[in-house]
Amino acid sequence: MELTERHVEGLKHLLYKMADDLLIIGHRNSEWTGMGPILEEDIAFSSMAQDKIGQSLAIYNILHEMGEQEPDTVAFTRNASSFHCSQLVEQPIGEYDFSLVRHFLYDYADAIRFDMLSNSIFEPLAMVCKKFRGELKYHTMHANIWIKDLAEGNEESKTRIQNALNKAYPMALSLFEPSEFDKELSEAEIFSGEAKCRTIWEKEVGTVILEAGLEIPQVSDPEEYYGGRSGKHTEHLQPLLDEMTEVFQIDPTADW
Amino acid sequence: MKIVSLDPRVNRSSINETEESVVLKKLDQFQTYEVFAQTKRGVHHVHVGSVHAANKKIAVLFAKEQYARRGKCVNIWVVKTSDIATTEYEDSDIFDTLDEKTHRNPESYKVLNRIKEYKERTSK
Amino acid sequence: MYGNAYIDPKKANSSLVDGENPEKLAEFEARIARGEKIEPKDWMPAMYRKQLVRMIEQHAHSEIIGSLPEGTWITRAPGFRRKLALMAKVQDEVGHAQLLYNAAETLGKSREDMINDLISGKSKYSNVFNYPAKTWADSAVIAWLIDAGAIVNQLANSRGSYGPYCRALERICAEESFHLKYGHDNVVFLATGTSKQREMVQDALTRWWPPIMHFFGPSDKDSVHSETLMRWKVKMASNDDMRQQFLNMYVPKIWDLGLTLPDANLKKNEETGKWDYTEPDWEEFKRVINGGGPCNAERLAVRRTAEENGQWVRKALLKESETYVTPLS
Repeated sequence: MELTERHVEGLKHLLYKMADDLLIIGHRNSEWTGMGPILEEDIAFSSMAQDKIGQSLAIYNILHEMGEQEPDTVAFTRNASSFHCSQLVEQPIGEYDFSLVRHFLYDYADAIRFDMLSNSIFEPLAMVCKKFRGELKYHTMHANIWIKDLAEGNEESKTRIQNALNKAYPMALSLFEPSEFDKELSEAEIFSGEAKCRTIWEKEVGTVILEAGLEIPQVSDPEEYYGGRSGKHTEHLQPLLDEMTEVFQIDPTADW
Repeated sequence: MKIVSLDPRVNRSSINETEESVVLKKLDQFQTYEVFAQTKRGVHHVHVGSVHAANKKIAVLFAKEQYARRGKCVNIWVVKTSDIATTEYEDSDIFDTLDEKTHRNPESYKVLNRIKEYKERTSK
Repeated sequence: MYGNAYIDPKKANSSLVDGENPEKLAEFEARIARGEKIEPKDWMPAMYRKQLVRMIEQHAHSEIIGSLPEGTWITRAPGFRRKLALMAKVQDEVGHAQLLYNAAETLGKSREDMINDLISGKSKYSNVFNYPAKTWADSAVIAWLIDAGAIVNQLANSRGSYGPYCRALERICAEESFHLKYGHDNVVFLATGTSKQREMVQDALTRWWPPIMHFFGPSDKDSVHSETLMRWKVKMASNDDMRQQFLNMYVPKIWDLGLTLPDANLKKNEETGKWDYTEPDWEEFKRVINGGGPCNAERLAVRRTAEENGQWVRKALLKESETYVTPLS
């Protein structure tokens, strides 16, 4: 089918929020490289951070083919209000409990979204989503094992994981902030929509949480962390971007 | 005194310069698992090294990234090091094969001459 | 990445083989002379074990501490290509530490003991990592030239006699060649870029030249142990020879980019075929090795904090019923 202008607009919105999420969480998680809790985990966590940045690049490349600017320009010159990432990913890394739990919640969402989009009629996106299936499988496998093992570890680790979950879970709901394009994208079989993603996600992460003997946090206001998709961010994003682009901004026209 | 670093990550961690050093106790880094990787279907798994891990599931997670993040790999095994029995190098003479063990080798079975001789003998 | 293990000449004993069984020693040395490798459970002279543990352990420490100066720029790498490459490179250094600690463990020292000796300041690591990476260009110079130096050292050591160390180094050298290419690419982009970029890389090079000249350690040709350690293939090349090899390979490449080095005496002596240079300040080298460098305290504090912060994770998964045995190879 022909994509209307409205579809293209909706697609770009979708691609930006996905790519921005991936870039920012990859960036955050890369902060652990060289500082992880044990050498082997340091390596594994760094690989996943690299995967995320690689995935974001692939999506910025699709956007570039659709007429947006070069990936480097898009990633390294926008300010916070032009970013569409969710408020979950921009949070500081905290301690390892928070980073692990965020990785768990985020990667399930990512895997579900990518899986759904593997069937999108928008071929370039479907291809990219299929390509990263293996990476995402490892990421969720990693998250599962760690969440369960730490939940079943000792009192301290169980409490830490539950607390991190209580903090991150409401933030994670902002990954599924509905968009004005959801209905049209769904009708056009481009993307089945945020609500559907969220339903599958709640079921899947819920299963892991309960199997690990943890509690699914009760969320009083599911919209508390909404806004990221339209450029409303916490105080953490702009400093992150200032840091990330510090060298690039010495001369944005130079070849680095 | 807090460390003031060129690395923004370090500054965020707010690290004290002169804190008492932590001491890792025995098993802090866990036991080890030996890692065997298969580069493609049809070939043997080959020993590639070891990982420290709390259990075998985590060992698999670790082995995948430490030993297969580059190059080809289709399958990995991990085995707890303490579960492996080995021979000793000082006993490596048990592997010496003596020259008289010719009955194990195909080249010690040469019958063509015998057949030829038989044919000559019986054709007369 | 790594320079040479520093052996204090003042601590030299009269002999490395005092009290060893002469028959076993002869057999051991004959095996090495035949070009065979020594494996973990083999008989070995106590000093062979001791020197190797120290060397491999220092090498492992250098990798994990070496991830910090470049890690300084991990959140600031400009553009996707550099961001991904720097992440992968720093990750590799952590991976190298993992491989090397394993190799050292086969000789009987546990990883816990090695980490304890590192963070308490008892063990040493390569001196260069006690200097700061002030700008992005410093990270480029480190990736190119420190890794280049490390390759010279590690290629030599990979022909050594201890099997597990050789196997680890084989893998490490393969990965270092990516680091070297990445570092060179990075320096070339800066050197051929805008005037600002060029200035950055020249400054970084000027800053890093003295530590680079220190990298292989002081001349050790007169060291009393050198002969034995070379016969045992623990030490594969003299510090001076490795420094010469490095200068020969990289000074022309640096000059080729129109960059300058802060040593007016640096030139190839056509008669001897060797490089002449101003002798590095070895007093400064010793001062830094003994804790007096600009970043010693920070490096150890960061490593200590990483171990501390990870402790609850490890503690939660630890099972007292497990037994530790040394890795097989």
